[in-house]
This record gives sequence, C-alpha cells and structure tokens, in this order.
Amino acid sequence: MEYILKNGIVYDPTHNVTGDRKDVMIKDGKIVDNVSSDAKVLDVTDKLVMAAGVDVHAHIAGPKLCVGRLYRPEDSRAGVVPKTDITRAETGFSIPSCSATGYRYSRMGYGTVTEAAVPPLEAKHTHEEIMAIPNIDVSPLALFGNNWFVLQFVKKNDLEGLAAFVSAWLKLSKCYGMKVVNPCGSEAWGWGMNVHGIDDPAPHWDVTGGEVVRALTQVNEMLGLPHSMHVHPNDLGHPGNYPTTIGTLDAVKDVKKNPNVIRDQTIHCTHLQFHCYGGTSWRDAKSGAAPVADYINKNKHVTCDVGQVTFDETTTMTADAPMEYDLYKLSGLKWANKDIELETASGLIPIIYSPKAPVNALQWAIGLELFLLINDPWQVVLTTDSPNAGPFIRYPRIMSWLMSSDRRTEMLENEVHKWATKRTDLASLDRVYDWSDIATVTRSAPAKILGLEQRGHLGVGANADVAVYDIEPENFDATKASNASVIEDVMGRAAYTIKDGEIVVKDGKIVKVVPSRHMWTNVTGFEEQEKKVLEDIMPMFNRYYTVKFENYKVFDHYIDPAIEFKIDAGK
Amino acid sequence: MKTITLTLKKFSSIALEFEELIPDTVYNWSKEDFENYQVPIGNTRFPLTNYFDIEVEGDAEGPEDVKMILDGDMSRVKYIGYRMTAGEIIVNGDADLQAGAEMIGGSLKINGNAESYVGREMRGGSIEVMGNVREYCGTSYIGEWRGMSGGVIKVHGNAGKQLADCMSGGEIYIGGSCDILAGIHMTKGYIEIGGDVTRWPGGQMKNGTIVIKGKLSSLLEGFENEGIFVDPDIEGKQLTGKYIKYKGDIGVNGKGSLWLNAEKNRNLL
Repeated sequence: MEYILKNGIVYDPTHNVTGDRKDVMIKDGKIVDNVSSDAKVLDVTDKLVMAAGVDVHAHIAGPKLCVGRLYRPEDSRAGVVPKTDITRAETGFSIPSCSATGYRYSRMGYGTVTEAAVPPLEAKHTHEEIMAIPNIDVSPLALFGNNWFVLQFVKKNDLEGLAAFVSAWLKLSKCYGMKVVNPCGSEAWGWGMNVHGIDDPAPHWDVTGGEVVRALTQVNEMLGLPHSMHVHPNDLGHPGNYPTTIGTLDAVKDVKKNPNVIRDQTIHCTHLQFHCYGGTSWRDAKSGAAPVADYINKNKHVTCDVGQVTFDETTTMTADAPMEYDLYKLSGLKWANKDIELETASGLIPIIYSPKAPVNALQWAIGLELFLLINDPWQVVLTTDSPNAGPFIRYPRIMSWLMSSDRRTEMLENEVHKWATKRTDLASLDRVYDWSDIATVTRSAPAKILGLEQRGHLGVGANADVAVYDIEPENFDATKASNASVIEDVMGRAAYTIKDGEIVVKDGKIVKVVPSRHMWTNVTGFEEQEKKVLEDIMPMFNRYYTVKFENYKVFDHYIDPAIEFKIDAGK
Repeated sequence: MKTITLTLKKFSSIALEFEELIPDTVYNWSKEDFENYQVPIGNTRFPLTNYFDIEVEGDAEGPEDVKMILDGDMSRVKYIGYRMTAGEIIVNGDADLQAGAEMIGGSLKINGNAESYVGREMRGGSIEVMGNVREYCGTSYIGEWRGMSGGVIKVHGNAGKQLADCMSGGEIYIGGSCDILAGIHMTKGYIEIGGDVTRWPGGQMKNGTIVIKGKLSSLLEGFENEGIFVDPDIEGKQLTGKYIKYKGDIGVNGKGSLWLNAEKNRNLL
C-alpha cells in the first residue's frame, strides 16, 4: 500500500525539518521519496506531522503489571471502555489491560515503547503480555544490576566473562538491552537492607553499585549494544540523593563509546526527577535539579528521561523493592513485595500525587526544571516512568506544560503547593518548548538514545511510523495558558497514526489492530565465551534457581513477530 | 410528584441491571420512554416491557420529585438505586446485588431481603432494608481502601460478613445479628449492631465507633479495655445500660472505639 500525506506541517528534528510544508510518502511500510500515481492521498493540509512517538521508558508488560492488576481491581474499573468491532474492551487507568495499553499509545501517535524492567526469570511472561498488546513495537530491557552472576563477575573483575554472560542472557530472555535498578540495593533487600550511595557494598558480596554500573557500561560498549546502559541509580526518592546521581553518571565518564553505534551517550539515566533531590530529610527537601542539569549540560556521555509527576492517583512498580518499602512506611497503603530469586526484587504500591501535597508539588516542579534546565533537548526525553509518576496517557498534558510558561505560572500561583515555588527555581524559568523541541523529546531523541536507526524520524528508509495531529502549528499559539487544554486534547488523539505504513488510528479512533513486534538483540562473536560461561555458572544456577535451565529460556514462539537486531561484537 | 410503578411480570434468572433506571435519569421519561427502553441483561439488552408492567403518573421537575415503586421479586435485579442523587425508590420484594451502591442522595427502601454490597461506597442519602442483607454491606469496592463515606444504612434484619469494610463516614444500624469482621479497616463513622456478633469486629480499625448491643463471641486481641460506662453518650447518641469500652485496633495503632453491652458480655468483665 502506498500513501502520500499531503501538505502537512512537518517536524523532523533528525533532518532539521522545522515546520516545513512537505509531503510524506510511504511505500511498503517505509518512508520513501517517490510513490506511484496509485498512492492513496491523505489530505493533512496545515496539520502537524511528526514521526510516531518513541517511549524510552515505561512499564507496560510483565509480572509487575499482572500483580498490579490483581492487586488493584479498583484501578481496573477506572478506564472501562466497551469493545467495538475492532477493539477489545479496555480497563484500567494506571495499569491498563494489555490491549488498552496498545490502543492508548496508538491513539497518542506512539509506535514504539520500551518495557523498562524485565527480570530474565520473568521474561516469558513479559513476552506473553507483549503478544497481547497491539499496535506498538516493544523493546524490553533485561535487569542485570542485582544479578548474582553479574555480582560475581564484577567481584572478580572479569569483564570478558561478564560480556559473554550478558550476551547469553539477552539471547535467553530475548531482550533488547540492559537495565540496572538500584544496583546492589535490591540484592541488599534480600536481607531487609538497602545500600546508600554508589560506594556502599551489597551485604556478603563486597561489590558496590558504582562498580556494577561501571562494569556493565564497559560491557555494553564492548558488545556495542544498540542502546546504552540504562540506569535507575541508587537512593531513588531520598532527599539529598543528587550527589549519588551525579556520582553514578561520573563513574562511567571515561568509558569509551563503541564506534559502531548511532547513539551519543554511554549512560542513560532514567526517571531523573526522582534522583534530583537536595536537603537532608523531607522537612528540608529542595530541588537538586540545577547541579544535575549542569552536569548533563557539560557531559555528552549522558542522556536522561524525566519521569514527570502528573498529579494523579497511580501505581508505583519497580525492582527497587527497598524504596517501595520506604514508600509503604510513608503512605501506609497496600504494598506488594516480590523476590525474583537470583536476579532482583520488586515492589508495588498505589500512590496519590496531589498538587496540594508539598512533596508532590516539589517533585512536579523538579521534573519541569530538568526539562527546562537541560539545554539540549536531545539529552532529555519525556516520560512519566509510566505508571510510577503518572500514567503514559498524560504525556500530552506534560507537553502543554512545556509549551507554555504562562500555564506553569498559573499552576504555581493557583494550583500547586508553595514548595514548588519556594524550593525550586521553576518560577524563574520562562523557557518554552516549540513543536520541534516536542518532536525531539518524544520521538527523535528517544529513538536515537535507544539506537533505533529507523525510528523517530521521517527520512527516506525510516519505518513508516507517522503521527498526524489535528492542530495547525502555524495558526496556534501554544504559549497561551488557555491553550494548554487544547494541546492536551489534540496530542492525545492523533488524526492519523500510521504504523509500518498501515493506518491504525484515524480521528482518535483505532481503525486497525496489528500485532506488536518484540525487539531483541542478538550478539554474535561471543559464542565460545558464552559456552564457557554457561558451563561455569551452571552449578550455581542448578543449586539456587527454582526452575531448570531448560525451562528458563524464552522460546521463539514467545516472540512472534520479532525484530532481531544482529550485533557483531567482534567488529 | 411523579410516581413510576414497575410491576414484575416475568422473572429472569439472569440478572437485570437497573443502574440506568434511577430518578436522575428517568424523571422526565414518559410511559413510552420506558416502553422503548432496553434493560441490560448479561451481555445484551432486552425490552423492559418483557419483564415489567409499567405505570407512570404525574410529572417531575427533577429527580427529587420522583417516587419509583418496584413491585415483585427483584432478587435478580441488580444495581437498584446505583449512584442516585435524589428521589425515592421503594422495592416491594427482595433486591439483588449492589442495591444503593455509590448512592449520593435520596432514599431507597427495600421491603424484603437484599443481597451483598448494599450501599457500597455510599456517599449520602439513606437506605432502609426491612429484611436481611448479605455480605459487604456499606463496604468499599474490591481492592479499594476508601469505603462508605456518608449517608445512613438501616437494616432491620441480620447482616453478613465484612460489614462496612473501610468505612470512612456515615452511619449503619443493624437490628439483628452480624457475621465476622464488622467495621474492618474503618477509619471513621458509626456502626450500631442490635443483635449478636460472631467474631472480630473492628479488625485493623484506625478510628470510628462500633456499638454491639448483643453478645460478641470472639474479640480480637488488638483491643484494650478502657473501662465500663453506664448510659454512655456516644457521638451524640444516648445508649442505655452498662457498656464496656475498648480501644483499637492497636495492631495498626488504631484509636477506634468498640462498645460492648456489659450484661450480654459478662465473660469479658
């Protein structure tokens, strides 16, 4: 099928296209520069055209979600939408049903989403849920930061062995890249403890979080994985944690980037907002965004996503189990805790972010400060760490805050607690994002950060993942506070979402359902080392895991359809 | 005043759902509107006239002018009075699940027994059940930690398990006996039980008041005796006789009060 999107106002930051009136041509699921006369014309005159959105960090599939749905039936009733001829019924607000997840991303014009935390032991379940999510391709990241084998390799300083282990484990779990969550902290949680800072060793291991992040980053570059190290640093959500964040980023400053990758960074710091707190306790907590933003402005080896708080009742879910316990002690709401054997732990608890609560107002303001203080939009990505700081359906609302300092002022003056004004610099920041910046932080930058060459832009050869929004950027003043609700509305229901050359959304409604593809990285060139590593670790595996190795692997029928990223590590 | 009378003529073993038939939606409906209405049953809808004879008399300016009378066995009619804000519904028979659930105002009277979830998450108005209610009367939705927050539920018969789970306001009066875990997780509000209680009232209660006028078979360990009071005045309600007062549930640092009739619970003296 061929399409030509005619007369749209195109924003494609990858190719420096900033609001040019252009036609976008599609053939066989790719962007092309020429179509035949048979091409179907879609008249998008004056409308906003961008590549489909790319989410660098969200929790959308896997056992955490399943526990969340079981544990919060009251959330399921919040987003009930009846079935249609095309779609299944939807349920849920912060933890939507699988199909609802796909539809809602699709309606916002998104095409690719990263599932940010997959314990390899639970990878099968994650892929099963991805099979049930339609219309978005999913790149799952496997958890390595508290894995016993990883800790062992790091302790022995055996990077070669660690690289072979990572390479083998990505194949076994069919994951796209590496994720680290509170390195050593979730392992410490097995003893009811946590680690504090990057130099605090996990009990009985004598290995620190800083060492784990550094070793895994080195291995990431040694293998040349498309995405960089994706790290959730230690001390999440603790007042005074920003030096830990900077320390984590600085620990890998000298790691040399693999020359074969398209990304610029060697470390991606996720939901940075939760890691930028100053002060010593919640009594004197204040923003630590400025020093962290300053560090990122000076260091190109770092990218981040924000994890913007959206003032909703949502559900937190993370492999940072000790942090979830802290949250439980603060709020007293129902708390779930899980142990993932040799790999990690996890926790889950509902949370209510209220604009009237001082701490929540502070968190909200810190998130926006990061967006506005980090100069290069290619280094900062729009996320809510969905559903931890808010559900992903709020992305359009965040766009409206970024595009209008008047709207932010209105909120600071009337809607949010004064801590947002008194303990952060948000009130003094009048920078606003334009459509090009929005396209960068929601599409182009995340695609580049993930190492996805064919996504996040509209150049020839790119995947035909395109979003059209029913707004005329040339005749619309996004900086006006009163227009914030318009932005939220329009960006939440795409006029068209095109996925691999097929129209899946029209006028905000799902018109077609296509299966999501499982993106995974297949590293070649380490076969011999992998074999040896597997032999070496097998006694420990057999002794401590509750599953047999033969049943541990994600079989191919779990990942149909798949996109395999073949990496030649020897190159 | 508008009086709407629905008389059951055919019983459906698959439940009918009445969430759309509340004074708020039907106050300006004519008889024809009712005759054209299709009522949800299972995963489909059928004409209301298959099941009911319908009479409509008078006019209403708003829901407060509406009196709905449901005559017959409504034991397979769910969601009667769901989310109603005003007006009056009288059920001359039994009612199925979720009667008066999420009710905001107005009154619902059931001249029979009611199934579970009567007055779930009720915020205001009044419910009176002349017979018994089953489980989860005046509770929260499953998983939800914020339950009934206002209004009054009066049950003349007995109540089942987990009465008023997570209650945070309002009043519940049970004339008869009550099964386990009345007032579990409650944070505020008033529960008065006229008859006997099996076990564990007030489990994990943080605050609020439970009065038991009959015999309690088993008290939870998390309740501390605070002494005996004669004719106590509890939240403006004058009780007569001797009552033993407990504070709890100390397992969750709770400051709720549980009052037991001393005469009926001499074993605890």
